[in-house]
Amino acid sequence: MTDTHAHKLPSDIGGNEAGPVDTIDHGMRFWERQANALRSTLTRKGFVKTDELRRAAEELGDRYSQLHYFEITTSALRAIMIEKGHMTEAELKAKMDDIRARFNVPDEMESPIKKGKAQST
Amino acid sequence: MNEPKSHSVGKSAYAPAPGRRFEVGDRVRVKRRFPPGHRRTPTYIRGKVGEIERICGAFPNPEELAYGFDGEPKKVLYRVRFAQKEVWPRYTGPDRDLIEMEIYEHWLEPAMAGTSDEKK
Amino acid sequence: MTDHRTDYYAARKHAHDHGDHVHDPHAPLNEHDNGPPSEYEIMSRAMQEILEAKGLITADEIRRRMEQFEEDFPYRGSRVVARAWVDPAFRKRLLEDGRAACIEMGIDIEAERLIAVENTPEVHNMIVCTLCSCYPRALLGMPPTWYKSRNYRSRVVFEPRSVLKEFGTELPDNVTVRVHDSNADMRYVVIPMRPKGTEGWTEEQLAEILTRDTLVGVTVPRVR
Repeated sequence: MTDTHAHKLPSDIGGNEAGPVDTIDHGMRFWERQANALRSTLTRKGFVKTDELRRAAEELGDRYSQLHYFEITTSALRAIMIEKGHMTEAELKAKMDDIRARFNVPDEMESPIKKGKAQST
Repeated sequence: MNEPKSHSVGKSAYAPAPGRRFEVGDRVRVKRRFPPGHRRTPTYIRGKVGEIERICGAFPNPEELAYGFDGEPKKVLYRVRFAQKEVWPRYTGPDRDLIEMEIYEHWLEPAMAGTSDEKK
Repeated sequence: MTDHRTDYYAARKHAHDHGDHVHDPHAPLNEHDNGPPSEYEIMSRAMQEILEAKGLITADEIRRRMEQFEEDFPYRGSRVVARAWVDPAFRKRLLEDGRAACIEMGIDIEAERLIAVENTPEVHNMIVCTLCSCYPRALLGMPPTWYKSRNYRSRVVFEPRSVLKEFGTELPDNVTVRVHDSNADMRYVVIPMRPKGTEGWTEEQLAEILTRDTLVGVTVPRVR
């Protein structure tokens, strides 16, 4: 129904044909509320701008349509924090391995919430 | 466009952005451009003609903020009102239905009365 | 007709008042969510711990912010609009400068601007953010899951009446449906029409029927 063009971003979806709306408000999981608080605190303290996070979400390309809302926002925050030098890929990977060990989660485990498996480098 | 007075603009107490290009009621066309990168002008509204509903003020340019620049000099932001039937060729609701959104000044150009979405 | 599950916080209160549990497998309320953490949960926790260790943020800041989003923000908007219902001068001020009107009530909306749009017998307003999910979070809390959904974002702009019907809201053709795509720096709240049967109600009673779905414009307030 809408124009497509070379630079159309995956977030630019106004006017796309789509299915019925799930009208129930499902609320948020604990980690999602915590992730939201993290993003909100970082923007309020000036470490990152909302515009930068939106742009990083748009740069997810094909993955944008495969991820849930908080997976998108978490991916975007990761990209910008690395871009701005607040952390490195290596640091993040090491910390994620550390957390997995704490929760006793093997790398290969499929969680019911996972849509596409994020490749740990 | 004829709209009921009940959803008139309502005066805004915000700074009117001196040096702005457009005034409330001006007919404008959203530029039909497709640049890469972060934009806050949805594709579906590009090329469409509406009228200025209110002047929101001047804000740092989000297209620059998104890449870590300071977004200065600020750009004037307007709310623009469109008839749904002008936006969607197959709109099934009544002619009176409206859609309104915020468009930055550099995305707008003057439109003649009665023109529609033409490639320029 | 729509039920109160369109607003998570209203649903939770309703369940609490009736001695029920909110039974939604998508939204466990506590730390010990069902199932092992997903990759993204791990990623988010990892980022938080790294940034705490580096001193950008503290655990306490995160905790307090979570509390604000859960205990405070979701209830502000209904109080503001309830006041607009009982106080015409306040309504006028809210329509002219939403941010300043909220400050009058001790509410900092943490956004540049708030535009209040009022429903009338001739006009019904509806809010969407097609590009992401912009929403006046410090006035209404986090957006409902349907507001953030791709189907809502895609369809409201070109078939609002069809989406409204899915929420149980039908409007005659002589009412203008006015959609607002919240695509830049403005944030929006709808002032619904005050329903009959609420004469003499306190602001607190009125706030209770101003659930967040009514303030986005997908439903109209009902006297229960």
